[in-house]
Amino acid sequence: MGHRSRVAAFGAAGVFMAGLACAEPVTYTLDPVHTRVHWETRHFGTSTQRGRFDRVEGSVRLDRGAGRGDVSISIDTGSVSSGVPALDRVLRGKDFLASDAHPQAYFVASQWRFDGESLRELRGEFSWRGVSQPLSLHALRFACRIDAALQREVCGGDFEAELRRSDFGSTFGLPFVGDTVRLLIAVEGVRQ
Amino acid sequence: MPKTLLALAVLAASGLAHAEMATYSIDPTHTFVTFEAKHFNTSTLRGRFDRKEGEVLLDRAARTGKAEITIDTGSIDTGVPPLDSHLKGKDFFNAAEAPVVKFVGDKIVFNGNKITAVAGSLTMLGKTLPVTLNARNFNCYTSPLLKREVCGGDFETTIARSQWGMNYGLNVGLPDNIHLLIQIEAIKQ
Repeated sequence: MGHRSRVAAFGAAGVFMAGLACAEPVTYTLDPVHTRVHWETRHFGTSTQRGRFDRVEGSVRLDRGAGRGDVSISIDTGSVSSGVPALDRVLRGKDFLASDAHPQAYFVASQWRFDGESLRELRGEFSWRGVSQPLSLHALRFACRIDAALQREVCGGDFEAELRRSDFGSTFGLPFVGDTVRLLIAVEGVRQ
Repeated sequence: MPKTLLALAVLAASGLAHAEMATYSIDPTHTFVTFEAKHFNTSTLRGRFDRKEGEVLLDRAARTGKAEITIDTGSIDTGVPPLDSHLKGKDFFNAAEAPVVKFVGDKIVFNGNKITAVAGSLTMLGKTLPVTLNARNFNCYTSPLLKREVCGGDFETTIARSQWGMNYGLNVGLPDNIHLLIQIEAIKQ
């Protein structure tokens, strides 16, 4: 390494360190290919019925150094997909997702809980069927990487949450169709 | 005449004692195989197979049985059509030449009245290897719609796909271990 390149390398390291120290909020746009919300609920106290929402959009603004940021996600409730088209039609109806009256469900959050470097929890508010309730997402894993294909930083992970659909006014089929709905949220955001 | 009645009673009693093997047909609307694969150790990619069929033979009193389920590999559904096309192709399931994956469970393990595991074999890409499914939530109920007994539960296992020769992407960090979540409900025939 010559003198000039050594200086350049040192300079680059300095900028990198400064970047870490200042740690400004960075905006990530959710990657629709690697962002999915799945739900699980028990059927007649027996097997677990699953489905997902195929259209989920949102963005995350995160200052990892300071452990601060905000999240805004919208779920197109009409994009529910259970693998059974007849069931999807029932789910979009007024007894469950009420997609005509409430085409979107929203999650907004700004309370992050880190344990050292690891994200543990994200607390916010979930709005569905016109009802807003606090919802806490438990982080199962969260990591950032430089994506080889995009040549950009990608951060993401798996989160889970539980809600009672009756709290949002969906009571049809209780107790045979479970009240407790487990949400499994796989999310990846691309740095902008 | 009393002799005939006695014979019938004995037959009925022995029928109860031996408890017959009952046949249950898989309900495709409450039976799904969902796979989970980690994406570069960040988020989990999930997909399911939308077409499947199968039959379960169960003798709940004798605690024995057999299960067979066939999955149509061309019905893979992740919600991302280009990914589905790749998964159906030669790199993964090779659906054109290997249209089905089949699980045959010939050893059903009970704890009391509940199924706790099903051991058997999984045939995929022309290769058959032993696989054991662990069971949770096994239960039977009478369906108010069908007016029949339905038995089912949740089953899961983790397989290493390379054992079946599905190696694509292992060298760039796609995972070998795939978690399978299997929902099964089957209707008594």
